[in-house]
Amino acid sequence: MDEGTVLPVLVCFRLLLAVLPLPGQHILKHDHQINSPLTSYLRLKEGLWMLDNNVDPYMGGSFHHSPLLLSVFSTILPPIPIIWAVSDAVGAWALLRIWRARQGLSLHRATTSTAESLIVSAYILNPYLLFPSLALSTSTFENSFTLLTLMFASEGKPSSALLAIAFTINLSPYSILLLLPILMLLVTSPASQLASPRPFHGSINRIASLFGEFMLYWLVLVGAACIIADGSWSWMKASWGASLTLPDLTPNPGLWWYFFTEMFDHFRPFFLMVFSVHLVIYILPVCIKFQHDPLYAAFLLIGVLGTFKAYLTLADPGLFLSMISLFPEVHGYLRHPIVTTLLHLHAALLLPLQHILWVSEGRGNANFYYAASLVMGMAGGAGLVDACWAGMRIALGDVKVESEGKGQVARWEVARWEVAQE
Amino acid sequence: MFPMHFQLLQACLLLLACLTTLVVGTSNSSTSTGEHAANFFGRHDSTSGHTNNWAVLVCASRYWFNYRHMANALGMYRTVKRLGIPDSNIILMLADDVACNTRNKFAGSVYAEAGRRLDLYGENIEVDYRGYEVTVENFIRLLTGRVDPSMPRSKRLLTDDRSNIFVYMTGHGGNEFLKFQDQEEISAFDIADAFEQMWQKKRYNEILFMIDTCQANTMYSQFYSPNILSTGSSEIGENSYSYENDNDIGVSVIDSYTHYVLKFMEGINKTSQTSMQDLFNSYDPVKIHSHPGIGSDLFHRPLDKALITDFFGGVAQAEVFPSQEDACLIGHHESGSTSLPFAPESGAPSLPVVTSPSTLTVEMHVWDSQWKEVRKWFSVFVVGCLVSWVSFVR
Repeated sequence: MDEGTVLPVLVCFRLLLAVLPLPGQHILKHDHQINSPLTSYLRLKEGLWMLDNNVDPYMGGSFHHSPLLLSVFSTILPPIPIIWAVSDAVGAWALLRIWRARQGLSLHRATTSTAESLIVSAYILNPYLLFPSLALSTSTFENSFTLLTLMFASEGKPSSALLAIAFTINLSPYSILLLLPILMLLVTSPASQLASPRPFHGSINRIASLFGEFMLYWLVLVGAACIIADGSWSWMKASWGASLTLPDLTPNPGLWWYFFTEMFDHFRPFFLMVFSVHLVIYILPVCIKFQHDPLYAAFLLIGVLGTFKAYLTLADPGLFLSMISLFPEVHGYLRHPIVTTLLHLHAALLLPLQHILWVSEGRGNANFYYAASLVMGMAGGAGLVDACWAGMRIALGDVKVESEGKGQVARWEVARWEVAQE
Repeated sequence: MFPMHFQLLQACLLLLACLTTLVVGTSNSSTSTGEHAANFFGRHDSTSGHTNNWAVLVCASRYWFNYRHMANALGMYRTVKRLGIPDSNIILMLADDVACNTRNKFAGSVYAEAGRRLDLYGENIEVDYRGYEVTVENFIRLLTGRVDPSMPRSKRLLTDDRSNIFVYMTGHGGNEFLKFQDQEEISAFDIADAFEQMWQKKRYNEILFMIDTCQANTMYSQFYSPNILSTGSSEIGENSYSYENDNDIGVSVIDSYTHYVLKFMEGINKTSQTSMQDLFNSYDPVKIHSHPGIGSDLFHRPLDKALITDFFGGVAQAEVFPSQEDACLIGHHESGSTSLPFAPESGAPSLPVVTSPSTLTVEMHVWDSQWKEVRKWFSVFVVGCLVSWVSFVR
């Protein structure tokens, strides 16, 4: 197969999946591993229906999506599966462009190399991303907007990147974690500096002005949301506040819900603050340590989100895993990729199993399911720690080889790295 | 420099436009709902005025040869559950020694007819007082509410002054007494006093007291509290007879009076408008082999307006108010109300019309529909403008 046709073929395949009436879609839409109360398609439809019937969708406590989704899906686009397929295709294309920007290749090449085919496949065929997309979960849009942000930032288009991250934050407020790396990326370059760290050389003033521009875009989007919300502020409490106050304790693969099922009300605000701060405290250390390569810092923060987010679904670690393909220079330095893979395999098999045992059959209980989500947390943590380690280890360089026998090996490793740089 | 300032100005104007739209809210005055609540919950002429239903089903016998009393109580339990009273509102007192009796050829099942088609014991019945807990003391404590603090909620009668209670008792009885489990008796005076205590403590709205024993009508002859409708299976000096035997079970499986009452109930569903008078009209002393009695002197509503589902079912009554646009109709409250999914095809019930022009609206939860389309498209337009501005201009 000609390598230049991989992306179109995969996009066609994905569109085909969207158009064909697949048998299991009803099950997917109800599955708790790939839908959360913040991203579920059923709740989106409910909100749209309530909007049609002049009821405030945010009063019921079941609708937590952003009002922008309400306005888009009730006016210009109907919520049909093609939209999700197109969003997947956009995400894959954005990932490809991020790769090309990072490698310093020209952005509009005719043919694609094997690496690029693998990257595109890693996004479209990743089951962690494919199933939520088939279930019409809005996490697909969040992922696509995140990738678009990174794409525009890597290509040096500040306004587009800031607008994209304003959209992302409007859809999912925890994406604010990515703001600082994006700003840093905009004032430096996306090319890989992992092997040669140096102090941050962008201008802080420019970062401040970019931040101001971001705030402008974000406020305009908030204004647009308030317009459709009839001038009331209740949507903020329901959509952003849901991530912070955790009103809905539907089980999901994340680590928060079980804590808060057994938490006394007395301690709830404190622990909500702790869990939220836990996410935010990763921003500065990661950005300081990887100030020489902000794209890698963004990647690590996506990994943090993919493990510790409030309403986690499989799409969030899915984005992290797909993005690993952008950084082949660190693959050789990963210490336990097999362990991470196996943990993810364990978690992916255990989570639906324990969920069915607990909820459908009544033979298990919440502890079974939480144990499976702890395995998921371990898998995410293992991946994150390994990526962090490899990113730092590559800067130390290889051990110098003395004998001629091993010299062969060293040269081969360098040669592989050079091929990737093409 | 100047073009950048101009673009910045554009951005600020756009922002200002958004913020002013924010400030413009809608306000509507919410009208008083107290009057409507009072009208809705007030006692009307011939509707019951109850808001919840309870059932107390007592089988006062034990041992295998009193199989039919167990089947009586379980048949009533099934009917009452089918018509909508939940288990939390049913107190079932049984000796419960029949289903798993070693003499029972069909272990775990209790049948009420000779062909054994319908198993009344089943898998999800909830017996609240079983075995030796079915005593006179427990029964009176249950009715009056003077239970030990350790008594769980499922075994308490948590009624209020809007509860209609269906009390059914069956067993061996006589002139003004009922035998409890071959050990003790409860007299008609005891039950009458218990009901009076309930009336004083506002523990019921109306009671339907049904009893199927020998000389049953004497049991309700001593009641003196208001709003009690009573019915029994036989007069003083008469026995109540069983209906049929099942040859494989080996004992009588149902009593005559209860059998005919249950047969009548099979034709009732939750939306039925059949009245208590229809039930009483269906009594046939020839078939039942005894003379059933009706005690309605303490019951102040006309019997043909008292629905079966007022006592046997857990039916909620809904009144439909017209929306605000046609609230200017001035009328009077019609008596009667419809059950929620029921389209009336017989009888009088119709939509009551509100007197005042204000209606129940929850305006703060309703988004203004007139400008909704405008708002939707305007927000999409704003977002589109922003996206195009960023892509093409910057």
